[in-house]
Amino acid sequence: MIAAEGSPAPLDWPNAGEAIGGQDFGPFERETLVRYALVSGDDNPLHLDPEAAKAAGLAGPPVHGMLMLSCFEPLIMGWRRDLFITRLSAKFLRPLLAGEGIRVLGRVLRSQKVPKLELVLRLTARGPNDDLVILAEATVLLKNTSPLS
Amino acid sequence: MTERDPAQTGASALAPEPGTDAPICIHPIRVRTEPGEVARFSRETGGIGTGDFVPLTFPFRWLGLPAIRGVILQSIGGEGFLPVHEAQSFAYESSLRIDTDYVLAVEIGSSDKPPRLIVTMVVSTLEGEVCARLETVLRIVRLTQETPS
Repeated sequence: MIAAEGSPAPLDWPNAGEAIGGQDFGPFERETLVRYALVSGDDNPLHLDPEAAKAAGLAGPPVHGMLMLSCFEPLIMGWRRDLFITRLSAKFLRPLLAGEGIRVLGRVLRSQKVPKLELVLRLTARGPNDDLVILAEATVLLKNTSPLS
Repeated sequence: MTERDPAQTGASALAPEPGTDAPICIHPIRVRTEPGEVARFSRETGGIGTGDFVPLTFPFRWLGLPAIRGVILQSIGGEGFLPVHEAQSFAYESSLRIDTDYVLAVEIGSSDKPPRLIVTMVVSTLEGEVCARLETVLRIVRLTQETPS
């Protein structure tokens, strides 16, 4: 599945600093959160019940962090389809409220060709007013695209 | 602190009480990447919903399984507290395949200042090959007022 160590880099293998174009997701309406709760099993009332959110000190139900984090995979795959995401770690820095949307984007932090083709990506999700909602980092490897693999 | 019923919660009979540093170990759980569930999850998380691959964040939904969820809810402290997702990481050795059985090994640790749960999950094949590791950090928030039941 992963390109073998020592495999030649594609001609367009990214360099450090290359941007991963922004993509908008949402707005995440209340109905979206209900559907996500159903498919994910995360029915924490914080996300679904305005009273619970209020009791937790929020102005309204926040969007599930995992729903937003899930947006990074289509971002990366839309950028390059020849990558395998081997690691993704994230911190949820501030809540995004139901009805709001995010813009996800990234940048290549490190680009490695030896011993294996690997990129470290810095990823962010920003909400209204450009507020940083998620700060994440991903490590991706080149997939083995050989038809003989 | 009340005594827990391992049969009810899925926790090991040797598990320590929450609040200590030693994690609670949950008995291995067999799961399956059902094609319909994968497709529905993919549709709700920015994917195209073709169901031809398992989204990176899909294993998170297994935290909602009763045997895991019960221990998490018990560890949080019951009514009057809610978990807030603070950080999440995924580390993949190999992609998960659709319509395939896996085994979960889950541990739930805690810290007191501030109160947090740290849930680690290892997803392995039935042959014992590790495919993915997840770590979920949940901050425990005390609600300021009663929520409607």
